[in-house]
Amino acid sequence: MIKMDAVLVGFGTVGQGVAEAIQMKDQLFVDRFGEGIRIVAAFDSNTYAASKKGLNPTELVRTKVGKGNIGKKRPETIPEMLSRLDYDVLVEMTPTNIVDAKPGIDHIKAALNAGRDVVTSNKGPLALKFREISKLAAKNKCNLRFEASVGGATPVINLASELLRCERISSIRGIMNGTCNYILSRMESEGLPWEPALREAQQLGYAETDPSYDIDGIDTACKVAILANAIMGNDVTVHDVERTGIRGVNLEAVTLAAQDKKVIRLIGEITEKGVEVAPRLIPRGHPLSISGTLNTFHIQTDLAGEIIVAGRGAGRHETASAVMSDLWVIMRTKEPNSHSS
Amino acid sequence: MRVNVDLRLKDVPGQLIGALEPVSRNDGNIVGVVHSHDKVSAGRIGVNLTFEVSSEMNLDKIMNEWTARGVDILKIDHLFETFHLEYVIVGTVSANEMKRITDGIQALGGVESLNVRYSVSSSDEKTALISGKVRSKDVIKKANHFMRERSKRSGFLMIRGFGD
Ligand SMILES: NC(=O)c1ccc[n+]([C@@H]2O[C@H](COP(=O)([O-])OP(=O)(O)OC[C@H]3O[C@@H](n4cnc5c(N)ncnc54)[C@H](OP(=O)(O)O)[C@@H]3O)[C@@H](O)[C@H]2O)c1
Repeated sequence: MIKMDAVLVGFGTVGQGVAEAIQMKDQLFVDRFGEGIRIVAAFDSNTYAASKKGLNPTELVRTKVGKGNIGKKRPETIPEMLSRLDYDVLVEMTPTNIVDAKPGIDHIKAALNAGRDVVTSNKGPLALKFREISKLAAKNKCNLRFEASVGGATPVINLASELLRCERISSIRGIMNGTCNYILSRMESEGLPWEPALREAQQLGYAETDPSYDIDGIDTACKVAILANAIMGNDVTVHDVERTGIRGVNLEAVTLAAQDKKVIRLIGEITEKGVEVAPRLIPRGHPLSISGTLNTFHIQTDLAGEIIVAGRGAGRHETASAVMSDLWVIMRTKEPNSHSS
Repeated sequence: MRVNVDLRLKDVPGQLIGALEPVSRNDGNIVGVVHSHDKVSAGRIGVNLTFEVSSEMNLDKIMNEWTARGVDILKIDHLFETFHLEYVIVGTVSANEMKRITDGIQALGGVESLNVRYSVSSSDEKTALISGKVRSKDVIKKANHFMRERSKRSGFLMIRGFGD
């Protein structure tokens, strides 16, 4: 029997989705490992709930949605509590901060220093301090997994770093931001100018009220930095990524491109030459000419040639899907004969 | 660039290898070899060779090495492959700047054709598609570098193609 006691930090869209998925997939884990995942503590920005026997995920979500918080005031800071609590894995899902990676970085370091495994969807610590935390994880023999941080449900990190291990990967190019892709697709299919296309994306809940994080390419640059570090073995931060967003792309540009059988897409690119985010002219019919909000990754390798993977880049259960796959892999590493499966 | 040559070699063992070696030594990539035993004239045999080479400079080196080894070059054809170059630019781009851009790309060499198409616009902002055919990926690389510089200096948005 393998036990997995989890602490959830951050209980917004992704945190609640993960709690629900843990409940939903309980039997799958019980069948394989003899026991399901228990949530022994959960934190939002101000409050927390904890139970050694495990909290009821459905109750947690109901309380959060009903009352706006999940429990009582914290007696100490979250990093202090993460050093003291008894658990196996931290699931870090607080907001991405690309100025100083806080609070996520402090949570991750506290857990790794306490010898706990970490799964995270938070791009900040990975896009700013990748080497520091991966070294700390290695030093303390902890798992650090972050499939959800890039591409939401799309399994690009684990695909490239585990299943394509024998390949020499020469480039990864992708559509990594659903909001930008939605805006560009609508401009092209409906002839919408930039402003109304952006407003439509905001009304549908794809873009934030302050959309600059998406449309200036910052979100894509974070993902490019993470992929470069995790898959291509680089040592870069989001600030090293050369970045042009889609702010200046007007309807005339989209139309001229269309006359030449091309579409304009915001592409994140990791090659041997460098790391870059920029709008590019993509031939119609190319896998990266895809319309809508899906994320798509195009991986160029020496033996396999091209590998293409696409999926939903965001959403409550979509992102939870990636977190669950990381939790599953960690449980497998704890099986006595883990090499056999 | 792709090159096709007709060579004459002495009909003695080791000559063919000797003719191929300079190609690989100078970063060339051999695409095809047609060895014709029947075309023997004055103790020599004919070989038709197709290969790719990255620059004129390397091609010159290969030819010099052949001459030094006593390989006769009867005929040489450049079979150019073309690559597409394309940019959409958006911004307040003056006629002068546009000329600087097209002249600058032409000056890189290896450009077979270059076209500019403007979109009709009511504002000061100009949107244009620059497209062309060039003879190597190396030209695209240089053009990208040049366009990046211009876009930084003049402050227009540059959307480049996917061919590099
Ligand atoms: N949403 C997606 O589809 C998606 C996809 C991939 C990756 N991600 C990443 O996943 C992370 C979570 O995203 P989300 O959409 O779930 O965000 P969210 O809905 O805004 O939730 C963030 C949660 O973190 C909590 N929090 C904020 N500051 C905190 C602090 N200082 N200490 C402890 N908790 C704090 C918030 O508390 P309150 O509830 O009290 O406000 C909230 O529960 C982000 O890093 C995001 O970039 C999201």
